[in-house]
Amino acid sequence: MAAITSCNVYIPVWRLERGEITKATGFQSLGGERSVACWDEDTITMAVEAASGIVDADSIDALIFASTSSPFKVKQAASLVATALDLKPDIFTADVTDTFRASTNALIMASEMVDSGKYKKILVIASEKIPVKPSTLYEQLFGDGAVALTVEKGSDGSDGEGDEGEVEILGYSSYSKPQPGAWMKAYDDSMKDFDMRVDARFGYAANLQAAVMPLFAKMGLMPADIDRLVISAPDPKSYVGLLKSVGVKPEEFFFDKVGILGTAHPFLLLAHHLAKEGKIILGSYGEGSDAFLIDVKSPLKSNLEKMVKSKKKIDYGEYLYFREKIGERSYPDSPSPVKYWRDKKSILRFYGMKCKNCGIISYPIGRCCIECGAKDNYEEVRLSEKGRIYTYTIDNLLSPGNYNADGVHPHVVAVVDFEGGGRVFMEVTDIYRGKEEIDVDMEVERTFRFLNEKNGFRYYYWKVRKPR
Amino acid sequence: MEVAIIGTGVTKFGHHWEKDQEDLLVDAVYEAVNDAGIELKDIEAVWCGTFYPFSGISGNNFSDPLKFFGKPISRVENYCATGMDNIRNAAFAVASGAYDIVMAAGVEKLMDNGSRGIPYIEGIFPPYMPAVSAPGMFALAANRAFKEWGWNREDLALVAVKNHYNGAKHPKAHFRSEITVEKALNAPMIAYPLGLYDCSAVSDGAAAVVLTRPEIAKKLVGDEYAVIKSIGMAVETIHPWARPSETFLSFPATVKAAKMAYKQAGIENPLKEIDFGIVHDCFTITELINYQDMQLCRPGEGAKLIRDGVTAIDGDFPINPDGGLKSFGHPIAASGVRMVCELTRQVLGKAEGLQVKDAEVGFAHNLGGPYSVAAVSIVSRP
Repeated sequence: MAAITSCNVYIPVWRLERGEITKATGFQSLGGERSVACWDEDTITMAVEAASGIVDADSIDALIFASTSSPFKVKQAASLVATALDLKPDIFTADVTDTFRASTNALIMASEMVDSGKYKKILVIASEKIPVKPSTLYEQLFGDGAVALTVEKGSDGSDGEGDEGEVEILGYSSYSKPQPGAWMKAYDDSMKDFDMRVDARFGYAANLQAAVMPLFAKMGLMPADIDRLVISAPDPKSYVGLLKSVGVKPEEFFFDKVGILGTAHPFLLLAHHLAKEGKIILGSYGEGSDAFLIDVKSPLKSNLEKMVKSKKKIDYGEYLYFREKIGERSYPDSPSPVKYWRDKKSILRFYGMKCKNCGIISYPIGRCCIECGAKDNYEEVRLSEKGRIYTYTIDNLLSPGNYNADGVHPHVVAVVDFEGGGRVFMEVTDIYRGKEEIDVDMEVERTFRFLNEKNGFRYYYWKVRKPR
Repeated sequence: MEVAIIGTGVTKFGHHWEKDQEDLLVDAVYEAVNDAGIELKDIEAVWCGTFYPFSGISGNNFSDPLKFFGKPISRVENYCATGMDNIRNAAFAVASGAYDIVMAAGVEKLMDNGSRGIPYIEGIFPPYMPAVSAPGMFALAANRAFKEWGWNREDLALVAVKNHYNGAKHPKAHFRSEITVEKALNAPMIAYPLGLYDCSAVSDGAAAVVLTRPEIAKKLVGDEYAVIKSIGMAVETIHPWARPSETFLSFPATVKAAKMAYKQAGIENPLKEIDFGIVHDCFTITELINYQDMQLCRPGEGAKLIRDGVTAIDGDFPINPDGGLKSFGHPIAASGVRMVCELTRQVLGKAEGLQVKDAEVGFAHNLGGPYSVAAVSIVSRP
């Protein structure tokens, strides 16, 4: 039987109060706030963030990336995420996409793969940054974020003792039915729908029921055997309506704090419920439903609470800048994708070199040591995730991402000394218009981010930010 | 090595929207040739610098503007030290005896490529590295020096005030007005902590020198020549931010180039044996660190020199009596050549209104890139 063995959440630090949307656009506020990815975050970077807290790189033998909002139509996100996480190259990677059930689809696949005995530890990451038009309902409904789970073979339930974080997936069932729902055609630039009320009335509850009932039958369950329902929903009203209709008190849905994370939302809710013992039903919705019976034998801690609390507010203007709806981003250089590909061990896996002659760790990897010049005499080492600013500047002649200056967003750059060695020149991100405090000797953390797009190629690289 | 400078030519530095690089080069070259009392055809070989490819690449950057064909001409490029590297190549060539009369020239038209800082060049840095403007590169040094030594923005402003005070009197300077500390401190921020007046300007200009050996110089111009005693040059890394030993409190290229130049010229105590200097004040912080790297004071004491007026034109060791890059702007390849022209004016006692008292020996210093290339020349009376 498969078990969930770790869970880690990434919610971008930025929050937009829905009241700010109303102030700027007049569109009625649904209350609370939503998370907003920084301009240099997408589903790939957030997936890396979510997983980096729980991954022991060498132990992972498969990675499944679940999202409806990958920045690529053709190019596997899972492969890029696995590389940034420095996972082994000989693992199975897959993207599961196109529906808000993608995350639970992936969890079923991971469970089956573990049960087959051919895979030991699978990383499943759900990540969303759903494109929406400004001043629409979807802008208020959705939030941005990612959740990572690891799935391994359970402890076969024979010991009876509650190990810490023992979470077994006891069973699952699915129901598939096309609904009008929400959609994006292949070349659409934002989420669309016919009329959300159609789904709310005829799709959501009916689909979930159709998925859950066979699970009850298969597992020989009575409603009384279930401690909590952990059900995602297309909107908060549908969620409350569903739980009330079966006589259960609604629980934390994170709409006021984060928004609905699309296909990552079932995992976000799951992260919340893994912290408390009990048998739960996990349900997702999108062209049907997936339902799971999960037994939290002993609580599994995650960083969910920390991620929800660690936040900085932005106004609607900055939100529009983050979404590239305002401002110009031009970049005079034409970097070579070939160099990017050739140097990927340094660029994506973040390896430097330790000179076997003088012992100095430097970055990036090159034939000769930057300190002593020794030729071809080094070992490759991955640099730490934590470092300290040796010096920095706030450069008004450029904007973040190496773009030409826009006069609003200066380029904050720092010389960072990493713990254990290696010095790298890096952009400091998650700094509001370069106006937040930054100083020599400040501690920073490494974060995988989108760099820029040039000549049609999308560049990613590591940056640093203040620790969350 | 002793090489004679027998002719100098410098255009007005500034915004030459109406002229192209060819026009500026022709002006500087003919001024130098006329100053030497020779004809252009007497020049046997040329080293001409341009940093930006749009101002011409290869030896054709000189041959075509002057229609000077059939002679050896090399294009030189070595960041902001391009100008002095031209002279280094020309000087060693003439000293070797391979040629008798040669020219070193530099020209740059920065304004043709926009006025917001020096234009970014494609392919210098790896695609993933954060881009950094020239002020940004040197701001890294300023922030570390502030932390390490307690220097502040007023110390930097004093450098700008001093150099503009001098430059206001120079007929060929780009900026010819004095400024105050308040004006400098209240100016817009460019790259923290460097404000507008901490930065040298984006300018156009050209400069040229005619070089020969002293025995030929005597025949051509009598005693009216200056002597290049030495030129030191050092190239360090373009990634100082990747080198763990880099302190950002000293520029190793300058330290090494200065040592080389002092040694070649037989100078043991620069403070006593040299009378004044022209340093690369691309940014005010650079000038303060240059004081230290040129051995005019100990590490950490650079700011004290400016506070105490040591480097003022009437101080114990005048620095940038011409007004420096702060007043002239910095048309990259032209700057180093212009600095050597200034040394010549000073040691020949021709720096009207800006003459350093008893100026017999002076040095000029170029620092380029992210402090990766430096050159130092020492020039004296014959």
